[in-house]
Amino acid sequence: MRALLVERSLPRFATARLASALVPGAGGGVRPLRLVDMDPPELPGPAWRRVRPRLAGICGSDLATLDGRSSRWFEPIVSFPFVPGHEVVGDVEAALPERPVGEGGRLAPDRPGPEGGPTRVVIEPVLSCATRGIDPPCPACSEGRTGSCERISFGELRPGLQTGYCVDTGGGWSVEMVAHLSQLHAVPAGFSDEEAVMVEPTACAVHAALAAQVQEGETVAVLGAGTLGLGVVAALRHFDLPGKLLASAKYPEQRALAAELGADVVAGAGEVVRAVRRVTRSLAVAPGGPGPRAPRLAGGADVVVDCVGSAQSLAEALAVVRPRGRVVLAGMPGPVKVDLAPLWQREVTLQGAYTYGTEERGGLRARTFELAFELVRSARLGRLVSAGYPLERYGEAIAHAASAGRRGAVKIVFTPQEEAPRPAPRRPAPRRPAATRLPPGPATSRRPPSSPRRSR
Amino acid sequence: MTRLGFPWRAPDWPGQLPRPVRRTLGVDYDTTWARHDAVRLARIVALGALARPALCLLAQPSVTGLDRLEGLDPPIIFAANHESHLDTPLVLVSLPPRLRHRTIVAAGADYFFDRAWKAHLWAGAIGAIPVERRRVSRRSTELAAALLEDGWNLVVFPEGGRSPHGWGQEFRAGAAYLARRTGVPVVPVHLGGTGRIHGKWRPGLHPGRTTVTMGRPLWPAEGEDARRLGARIEAAVAALADEAATDWWSSRRRAAAGATPPLTGPEASSWRRAWALGPDPDQDRWQSRRSWPLKRPQRASR
Amino acid sequence: MTSRPGFVLEVDRSTPPTLMWHGEGFRLERLPVGSRVVYPPEPVETLADPDAAIAEALEHPLGDSPPLRALLKPGMRLTIAFDDISLPLPPMRRPDNRQRVIEAVLDLAAEAGVDDVVLIAALALHRRMTEAELRHALGDRIYDSFAPCGRLTQHDAEDPGNLVYLGQTDAGEDVELNRRAATSDLVVYVNINLVPMDGGHKSVATGLASYRSLRHHHNVRTMVHSRSFMDQHRSELHSSNWRMGRYLAAQGVKVFQIETTLNNDPFPASSAFLQRREWEWTLKDRAGFLAASKALARAPERLARSLLQSINAPHAMASVQAGEVEAVHAATTEHMYRQLLVEVEGQADILTMGLPYLCPYNVNSVMNPVLVMCLGLGYFFNLYRGQPLVRRGGVLILSHPTPWAFHPVHHPSYIDFFEQVLSETTDPLEMEAKHEETFATDPWYIHLYRTSYAYHGVHPFYMWYWGAHALDHLGGVIVVGGDRRAVRRLGFKPASTLADALEMAEDIVGPDPSLTHFHAPPLLMADVR
Repeated sequence: MRALLVERSLPRFATARLASALVPGAGGGVRPLRLVDMDPPELPGPAWRRVRPRLAGICGSDLATLDGRSSRWFEPIVSFPFVPGHEVVGDVEAALPERPVGEGGRLAPDRPGPEGGPTRVVIEPVLSCATRGIDPPCPACSEGRTGSCERISFGELRPGLQTGYCVDTGGGWSVEMVAHLSQLHAVPAGFSDEEAVMVEPTACAVHAALAAQVQEGETVAVLGAGTLGLGVVAALRHFDLPGKLLASAKYPEQRALAAELGADVVAGAGEVVRAVRRVTRSLAVAPGGPGPRAPRLAGGADVVVDCVGSAQSLAEALAVVRPRGRVVLAGMPGPVKVDLAPLWQREVTLQGAYTYGTEERGGLRARTFELAFELVRSARLGRLVSAGYPLERYGEAIAHAASAGRRGAVKIVFTPQEEAPRPAPRRPAPRRPAATRLPPGPATSRRPPSSPRRSR
Repeated sequence: MTRLGFPWRAPDWPGQLPRPVRRTLGVDYDTTWARHDAVRLARIVALGALARPALCLLAQPSVTGLDRLEGLDPPIIFAANHESHLDTPLVLVSLPPRLRHRTIVAAGADYFFDRAWKAHLWAGAIGAIPVERRRVSRRSTELAAALLEDGWNLVVFPEGGRSPHGWGQEFRAGAAYLARRTGVPVVPVHLGGTGRIHGKWRPGLHPGRTTVTMGRPLWPAEGEDARRLGARIEAAVAALADEAATDWWSSRRRAAAGATPPLTGPEASSWRRAWALGPDPDQDRWQSRRSWPLKRPQRASR
Repeated sequence: MTSRPGFVLEVDRSTPPTLMWHGEGFRLERLPVGSRVVYPPEPVETLADPDAAIAEALEHPLGDSPPLRALLKPGMRLTIAFDDISLPLPPMRRPDNRQRVIEAVLDLAAEAGVDDVVLIAALALHRRMTEAELRHALGDRIYDSFAPCGRLTQHDAEDPGNLVYLGQTDAGEDVELNRRAATSDLVVYVNINLVPMDGGHKSVATGLASYRSLRHHHNVRTMVHSRSFMDQHRSELHSSNWRMGRYLAAQGVKVFQIETTLNNDPFPASSAFLQRREWEWTLKDRAGFLAASKALARAPERLARSLLQSINAPHAMASVQAGEVEAVHAATTEHMYRQLLVEVEGQADILTMGLPYLCPYNVNSVMNPVLVMCLGLGYFFNLYRGQPLVRRGGVLILSHPTPWAFHPVHHPSYIDFFEQVLSETTDPLEMEAKHEETFATDPWYIHLYRTSYAYHGVHPFYMWYWGAHALDHLGGVIVVGGDRRAVRRLGFKPASTLADALEMAEDIVGPDPSLTHFHAPPLLMADVR
C-alpha cells in the first residue's frame, strides 16, 4: 500500500525547520515525509473498519508538523511513524450499521450502491475514549466533548491525539487506513467529495466560532482567511448574529471569498487595526500610520478569532480586542513570543479552540460534525477545495498548500486512490478558487476496483 | 546572578530605629566653600574669560551709570529688574572689578538649589546663596545679613523671579528689609533687552542688544520702613528704565512730575500690554526668527 | 516689470519639450504636434508700498462700510479671523500678507484702546496650525502678544460650547458659527486670494463654520453643480455660501472683510525655469533644470519632499481691498481674473496636466493619493470659466507618482478612507450615502482634529467630492508614472509613459484626438469659449 509516512528523524525535522524558515514550502524534499510502500494498518478491534480515502486534505497543522514548527507539546501524544491526513472522505466496504454510536444526524446516509458498493464516509479524527475502547469513558467524552478527551494516549491504541498522528490508525495520505465506527459519518446524498472533505475543517471552524460565544450585536474580527478563517466567517454568519463581522485577508481571492461568506468588512494585510478601529469607532492612543505602523487602540472588537496562530497574529488579536474582550485562538500556535501586557492590562480572555465535540447553544445540543455538514452545504464550502494531487507528487502538493494564499488557493487535497504519477497535477491550481471547483466525476472515475487489493 | 549582599552594599536601616534626615539642599545648602579664596579666584577667572566674552557676543551690553558707583565700597546691595537668566552674569560682568570680586547673588532656593549638582554649580559659578522667595525665611535672611555684614556685595532681584511677559512685576520687600537691617546702601540697576534674548516668555537664544543702567545708591532713611524703601527702589529702577529708553533729562523730568512709566507696564488687556512692548529693535520684522546657535527655523526662507 | 499675459501655444515640430510637474520632481515631455499648451500669465505688478496700501484700504473701505478706525471703540469685542495654512501656495516669504494686514489692524485697535481682541485661525475642518506655522503667517510680534494669553485661537468646529446655531437660510441651510465671531461687535476677516474660489462670503461662512453647516455646500450635489467652483457666478458652492453670508449679516454678525491678492509668483529666482516658457530658457535655466530634476529624482523621497516643502514663494501683494464683503470680493475677483485668465478656444478630447508636490492640504505634509485626485480633478480641472478644457466624455491625463504614502498625524482619516472606502467604491454619491456620516462623527477623528494636527474625519470625502464634477464629466482618468496599486485604488488607470497614456486615451475618445496641456503651476484659469 502506498502511503506518505512521517518518521521521527531529528536531522530531517531540523533541516525542514531551516528550509521552511527560508522559503515556506520549499523544503518539500527534505521534510521528514516519504512515500513508502507499507502494510495497511491492522484492524485494532471489531468496531473498526477499513477506509479507502478518496480525498485527504492538507491542513495547516500538517504543514507545521512537516516543517518542524509544531510545538514539542505534541510529542507525547503522537506516535511515530505515522501517516498524516485527518481531513478524509473515503469509502467503507458495505453499509454502516444504522446510527453507529449515538449519532443524531438529520441527514440520511448513502445507501450502499446497487451492487453492494461502498459507503462514502467522513472521518471524525479525534481518538477519544470510544475509539480507544475505554469504558467507562472519561468525563469529557461522556458529555460528548470528545475534543477534550482526557485519555488521548491510553487504551487499545498507541498515543495519538487524532487519526493522522497515530501509528495504529494510519492516515488519509495513504491508499488505506482504519477508523472506528464512532468516527464515521456517512456522507449524505448529493454531497460531492469536495464538500465532504471540507466537513472536518469546517467542524473546527464551527467549534471555534461557537467557542467565541458571540452575543447578538457584538463586533467580531476574524484574523486570517485560510480554510479555517473562511470557515469561521461562514460559521459566525450562519450560526450567530454578530453586529459587525470583520475579516482580515491578505490576498484578493481571500478577500472576495471572505466577503461572499458574510464578512461585513474585509481588511487587507496590515489594515486590520485601522479597520477595527473604524468599525468599532474606538479611540486610539497613538495616531500611527498606514500599514504596519498602525495606531494603538483604546477600545476594539468584542471578540477576535485568531485563525493563524502566529506570534504576529496573536499580537494583532491582542491589539484589536477591546478591554475585557475575548480572543479565541483557533489557528494552531507553536511556541510564540507575545507581549502579554495588553492581555493583562485590558483583562482580555484568551481561549483556545481545538477540534470539536458537542455544541450547546440555548438549550440545543448538536454534534459539531452535524453542524459542519449543514454549514458546508448552505455556504457551499466545497468551492474552497482548489487543487488535488496524487500521493506521488506530495512535494508539489505540500509546496502548493504552504503558499496556498499567494497562489490563489485555499484547500489543497490529495487524491490517494489516483495511482499513476502523471506529469501535471490532476487539476491545475485554478486562478480563482471561488469560480472553479473539482467536478465530482473525475475524482471518482479513476477509482480502483471496489475490492481492495491487499499488498500483504 | 546573585545580588551582592551587605558588605558590598550599603546596609539597610533597622526598622525600629529612627533614621536622621539630613537636609542639605534648598535653603539648607551650605555655600561657605564657594567663598573660599581659591574658589573666588576661579570664579573671577571664569567670569572674565568665559562669561564676559560670551555675553559681549550674545547681548552686546552698553553699561551706563558706573560713575554713580565711584567712591562706594562694599558692602552694597544691587537691586535689579529680572527678565532673564542672563541678568545675573550681566550684572556681575558689568560691575567694576573691585566690586565684582566681592559680589554674591541671592538665588531662589527652590529653583537653583533643588538638586545637588545645581546647587554646586550655581554656588561655584556665580557665588549664589539660596534664598526663599515665596516667604520670608529666617534662615536665608540671617545668612544674607551675615554675609553683608561680612563685607560682601549682594545682587538681589526683588521681583522674586523672571518676568513671564516682558513687563516688570511688583518688587518684594526682601532687599529693602536687608538694607534697613544692615544699613547697607542699595544700588538700583536696570537691565534692558535681556528678556528678548532669552526670556521666560521667549525661549531659545536670540542675540541682541542690552542696556545696563546703574543708579544712584539709596540709603535707608531714618525711620523708613522696608515697604517705603522698597517702593523707593522700585521707583528708582523704573526711572532708570525710562532713562535707558529715552534720555536722562526727560526721565528726570518725568520722575519729578511723577509720570515715570511704571515698570509693570500699562494697565490694559494682556494683548495691548504685549503690543505696547513694541517690535524687537534687533529683529527684522520680516525675517523668521532663527534661534541660536543653529536651530533651523521651521521654514528656511531663502 | 512688464507682465505678459498667458496664451495658448500650438505645438509644432520646432517646439521644445514641455515642462511637466511630476510630484516631487518634474519632467520634460514631448507633446504630439498640434497639441495646445495653455501658459499662465507672468507675475503681475505688485504694490510698491504694501503697508501704505493697507492703511489706505482701511481708511477708505469699499461698499457702504465706514473706515475701520471708525468701527473700533474702547470696550468692544473685536475678532480677527484669518486664512489658515492652506493659503497661499507655496507659503510666502515673510512677511505674509496676513501679518502685514493684521499688524495694521492691531495698531488701529491699540490706538482706539480696544482691549477685547481675539485672533482666530479660520480652519473650518482643516488641521490646526503649529506654532511655527502661526509665527510664519502672523509674525512673531503678533504671536508673542496673543498666544501666551490665549487670545490667539484656532477655530474648533467640534466644540459645541464654542459654536452657536443661528438658524436656517431661505434654502433651508443650517448656519452654525464660531461663538466668539458670532458674538463679537466686529469680525475682521483677513484673507489671501490665490484662486478666485477663495474669499467673499466663503471666508466666514466656511472658515468659521461647523460640519452641520458645511454639509449643505460641501456635498456631491453642490459640487457637481458648481461649474466651476472657481467661477462664483456658476458655482452652487458659492451660491450657498453667499446665502449663508447674507443670513449672517441679517443676524447681526458684522464683518469687515480685508482681501489681498498675490502676484502669481510661486517659485524663487533660483528655480526661475519653473515659471519661464521653455523656449526662453537660458543656459542657467537649462543647467538649473538638469541639476534640480536629476537631484530630486535621485534624492530619497523624504529629502526631496522636505526640500520642496521648504520653498517659500516670493509672492508679493498685488492688491488689497477692505470693507463690505461683497464689494470687496467683487474687486478682488477682478484682480484675480486679470492675473489668472487665459482665453482658450474650444474644448479638447484629452487634457493633460503635471501635478506638483503641493496642494492646499499638504503644506508641510505628504501629498497622499486622495490629495492627488483632489488636486487634479478638483482644483486644476475646475480652473476654468465657461466650460471645461476637456469635452464631456474626454480623458484627463495626470502626471504624478501617487505614492501610497500618508502623513500619519495630519491625515489619519485619509488612510482609512483610502484603505476602506475606496476599496469598496469610488462613486461619490455612494460613499456620501454610506460612509460620510460614520467618518464625520467618528470620535477618534474628532479627538485628533481638536487636539492634534489632523484634518477632520470627513475631510477626505470633501476632497473626493471636490472632484465629483470632473468624475461626472470625464470619460476616463489616466495617471502617468503613478504607483499602480494606488492609482487603481483611486479608480484610475496607471500608465508608465505619457505616450502609453495617449494610446490608452485613444481607446476612449477615438483616434486622432485633440489635446490640451494645462501648464501649471504657476496657476492659471482658462476662459474657455
